[in-house]
Amino acid sequence: MTQHTAEVGAVASASAPWAIRMRDVSVRYPNGVVALKSISMDIEPGEMVSVVGLSGSGKSSLIRAINGLVPITSGQLTVGGHNLGEAKGRELRRLRGEIGMIFQGFNLAGRTSVLNNVLVGRLAHTPTWRTLLGVHTAADKQIAFDALERVGILAKAWDRASSLSGGQQQRVAIARALSQEPHLVLADEPVASLDPPTAHAVMRDLRRINTELGITVLTNLHLVDLAREYGTRLIGLRAGEVVYDGSVDDASDAVFEEIYGRSIRAEDVLDR
Amino acid sequence: MSAIAPPRPSRTRSRVVASIVCVIVVVAFWSVDINWARLGNLPSEIVRYLWLMFSAPDWSKLGEALYQTWRSVEMAWVGTVFGIIVATPLSFLAAKGFGPPPVQAALRGVFAVIRAVPEIIIAIIILSVTGLTPLTGALALAVGGIGTLGKWGFESIDGVPRGPIEAVRAAGGSTSQVLRWGVWPSASPEFLSFWLYRFEINVRASAVLGLIGVGGIGDMLTSYTQYRQWGVVGMLLIVVVVVTIALDAISGAIRRRITEGAPVHDLER
Repeated sequence: MTQHTAEVGAVASASAPWAIRMRDVSVRYPNGVVALKSISMDIEPGEMVSVVGLSGSGKSSLIRAINGLVPITSGQLTVGGHNLGEAKGRELRRLRGEIGMIFQGFNLAGRTSVLNNVLVGRLAHTPTWRTLLGVHTAADKQIAFDALERVGILAKAWDRASSLSGGQQQRVAIARALSQEPHLVLADEPVASLDPPTAHAVMRDLRRINTELGITVLTNLHLVDLAREYGTRLIGLRAGEVVYDGSVDDASDAVFEEIYGRSIRAEDVLDR
Repeated sequence: MSAIAPPRPSRTRSRVVASIVCVIVVVAFWSVDINWARLGNLPSEIVRYLWLMFSAPDWSKLGEALYQTWRSVEMAWVGTVFGIIVATPLSFLAAKGFGPPPVQAALRGVFAVIRAVPEIIIAIIILSVTGLTPLTGALALAVGGIGTLGKWGFESIDGVPRGPIEAVRAAGGSTSQVLRWGVWPSASPEFLSFWLYRFEINVRASAVLGLIGVGGIGDMLTSYTQYRQWGVVGMLLIVVVVVTIALDAISGAIRRRITEGAPVHDLER
């Protein structure tokens, strides 16, 4: 009975956020490119972190390493106390099921409904036969509807995903991540394909995930002002190495110039 | 101002190739043993047979003709369904990034070999096991269908956008779930369209398969040609052409609807 209650509690508290611990993590691609060079850092549960760097700095590899889409080649990587660096097969998929991911290109299946896209977030939590036949439980659908409601596009649940605007599609992608009831959300340049007002709206959604649900959020950005406005902690990457790690409040223009290795230009800010 | 043209690239290569092709065409033409004298009679012969067949089509056998046509269509339908059932899983295995690479290469090879063999040859091989029955025809069409459906299938999967696949994988999806929710939503309209197109092909091919005696309209056509009952043959040809065109038109309309999506007025609100 006690155990049962504990399990229910664990499921219900989707907000039990995960920490990320990296020790000397390196990623070398099969073609020989070293994307991450011996990175060590600790992200505490519930943090809202902006990862900044120019394209090619390794920030996309960093975020993909944290959910195992890119395998690490050396070092130690744990998420929420689970050894993700060594996880394979079923164990890796189970961990990924607990980590929400948001992409620059939304990555929705355009020819199917918004609801079906959001239910992708339930795949790792549902028996395979159900997912293959598309027989979703009422509980899973309710989770999906709640996630859509949270990002304000519940009314679009039955629309084809491709009929939505870019900002709406990114919200569907956020709802897909939320329906995983994740302990950690990773976002890879989530607003790089959006116009400025929509970009701010989507960043506010991500911030609400952090403040209201308490979930750890790690966002890749290349825009200085967005990183400052929506993160509490800033990590700067250059050529696969951490060159800055500290509070956003201390991140002056000089800090960004240090990270980028050049002066700040107009293209580095969203609101000119 | 007088422009100096850049030196013209050498055309020796293309000239050599052109001469070789010329020689091959001429030699090929003369090496074929054709009785040229009979060529002169051809137009009048064609007119004579067309007159025999279509001046007075014999409609008394129409009922039998329609029944045999229905058998041909059934043969085509069963062959299509069997082909789909076998080809679809195989095309997933043959696609990039899903099956093991050796399996991928082997399957692509199998599809290519099957496509190189006409259905009627496949039927003659199967005939030795199953005999002169419509099932033989259906199986031959199914095997032939694996060649084309398999190839169209893996090519379509190869061309599917990678984003949704990455998203399903990132959410913890297994390979089967990636196929179901990352690949299938993008690929399914093309698959449905291929299936219908293969059915159209099979309807035409099933008439030809009748020629070896596995039943259906082709069988009837061969028989009455041998009896030299040209009126019946004319009627049979009319039935074949009308039914084939009708099925092509229906299936084609459905395929257009699938690939182009709903007409605009359905999408407006």
